[in-house]
Amino acid sequence: MSASTLVPKAEVDLEKTQEVTIMRCSGVWTLQGIPLLEQHIAQLSWPTSGSLIFDGEAVDSLDTAGAWLIYRTLGQLERMGLAVTIHGLRPEHDALLQLIKTHAAGERAPIPPSHGLLNQLGRNIWRHLNEFNGLLAFLGEISVAMLRSLAHPSRFRWRAILYNLQIAGFNALPIVGLLAFLMGVVVAYQGAVQLVRYGANIFVADLVGLSILREMAPLLTAIIVAGRSGSAYAAQIGTMKVTEEIDAMHTIGVSPMDLLVLPKMLALMVALPLLTVYADILGVLGGAIVAQAQLDVGFADFLDRFDDAIKMKSFLAGLGKAPVFAVIIALVGCYQGFRVSGSTDSVGRQTTASVVQAIFLVIVFDALFSVILSWLKI
Amino acid sequence: MNEANEPIIEIRHVYTRFGNAVVHDDVNLVVQRGQIFALAGSSGSGKSTLLREIIQLQQPASGSIKVFGCEVQGMSGDQAATMRRRLGVMFERGALFSALTVAENVSMPLREHTELSNELIDEIVAIKIALVGLPDSAGAKYPSELSGGMRKRAALARAIALDPELLILDEPTAGLDPLSASSLDELVRHLKELLGLTILMITHDIDLLWGVADRVAILGEGRVLGEGTMEELSKSDHPMVREYFYGPRGRAAWDQTWNRK
Repeated sequence: MSASTLVPKAEVDLEKTQEVTIMRCSGVWTLQGIPLLEQHIAQLSWPTSGSLIFDGEAVDSLDTAGAWLIYRTLGQLERMGLAVTIHGLRPEHDALLQLIKTHAAGERAPIPPSHGLLNQLGRNIWRHLNEFNGLLAFLGEISVAMLRSLAHPSRFRWRAILYNLQIAGFNALPIVGLLAFLMGVVVAYQGAVQLVRYGANIFVADLVGLSILREMAPLLTAIIVAGRSGSAYAAQIGTMKVTEEIDAMHTIGVSPMDLLVLPKMLALMVALPLLTVYADILGVLGGAIVAQAQLDVGFADFLDRFDDAIKMKSFLAGLGKAPVFAVIIALVGCYQGFRVSGSTDSVGRQTTASVVQAIFLVIVFDALFSVILSWLKI
Repeated sequence: MNEANEPIIEIRHVYTRFGNAVVHDDVNLVVQRGQIFALAGSSGSGKSTLLREIIQLQQPASGSIKVFGCEVQGMSGDQAATMRRRLGVMFERGALFSALTVAENVSMPLREHTELSNELIDEIVAIKIALVGLPDSAGAKYPSELSGGMRKRAALARAIALDPELLILDEPTAGLDPLSASSLDELVRHLKELLGLTILMITHDIDLLWGVADRVAILGEGRVLGEGTMEELSKSDHPMVREYFYGPRGRAAWDQTWNRK
């Protein structure tokens, strides 16, 4: 390479005679050299007829980008009706130009037309219906796998279940406990202002007990677990799908349902009710502490009133939701994991979808529970 | 091109360890401009590690690695950027960005390192995709929609996007059917002749070693067991090198090559 590589530049000069135009090219026709030239070529006053001689004798170096630029420019000139002859190119440069010529695409594939608004709306609705359909089918598959395992309890993967119990349940204790405690504090605090106005301080136990036990603790726990574990399920299964581990399992004759899905679901069905009870306790504790600090209701008075006001059925109404939420979270997480297709990008998308859908369904089912329980007057 | 003895890669006394495992125990290699240099050797002989050290993804424990005459260790950011611009790497499993289409993958180095107009970049990308033997329609596809062989070609298209002086190929033909593999051989040789490329590749493909490589180095026991043309190496009396040539598969390729001659 000569010193010209330091300031790489490609140049074109047009030399016009009466009939013939000579296009004299020189310099470094490489990626570094051609950026300026690209605009320069467009501004040159090209002849519109006659013949043109391309003189490449002074071209120092040429790469595929440079060769393409030559090919493209000459092609445009030929289409305008000029007779183009190539002259003086070094053999290796000429070979490169030939290479480009043989590989230049004849026609570009047309860009598919974009869809209209209504079309997209229809597609989206169809996609969501399909997805819901798939979710139900997946639930069916899990049920079948579950029944099969119940018939042969030795098929249960106890190690996997215990492992998942630890990951999804035990390891979630600190965060669930902290947030439940704070939720109890917030509920008692908000209620305190109203209760003091009526001198009804003692009813803080009713307020905290009912709201935490029936609604807050199950819902809060389910949302935290959906964010913690549901997303992890989707990401784990999704990544295994990308790396073809799921396919490998099939060929070995291990059912991914038995090995991956059932243990997660069973573990969560145990872990979520336990976490809910734990959240109940810490939520009420938070409320009791605020009651003493803000409302002068001592622990003994609080517990006394709590015992009178809160019936067992309120506790059970809250706890009863937890296994249902557990099924939803595990179902959506695993289902979205299996929907991952091919790329790592898709893992991210399905993981997000798993959290959003799980929380959405948890809240929908919570509302359904409220309606049903009030019908049943529980 | 002036290929008269201009070393592109110079590896001197390189030692590498992972914990207690010694990977390289005094490795010395020189790759000259315009050569197709192949690194062979059994699995775990440190070929990929050496390659990662050349492209600065890993550091040897000691020793010197020079690429384009510059020491790669302790390079300044600018120097490293210039070096990266001059070399293209094709990874074993392609390492295409799965969130981008093939065309976007190939255009990424061009957009990053040149100031060409988008239109020209798109055209150059189309040419590169055609050069590696992919159909036009492949450009708009995502890597996950391609077969293994096509993905490999797409990875090669990205590696040659900037017309690098040095092309590094990690197992270019692994996982390809014989037909695709031989057309890739052809392509590599073609590119080398036309663009004056220097190519360093890791390969187990005995056909590639016989048919394409100018020089071959066989790595083993942490060292270069033998280096030279395939003919020279076939006369080596090192047991591991002989294994390479006189094992059942080496034998077949050997016979084939001689019959061809």
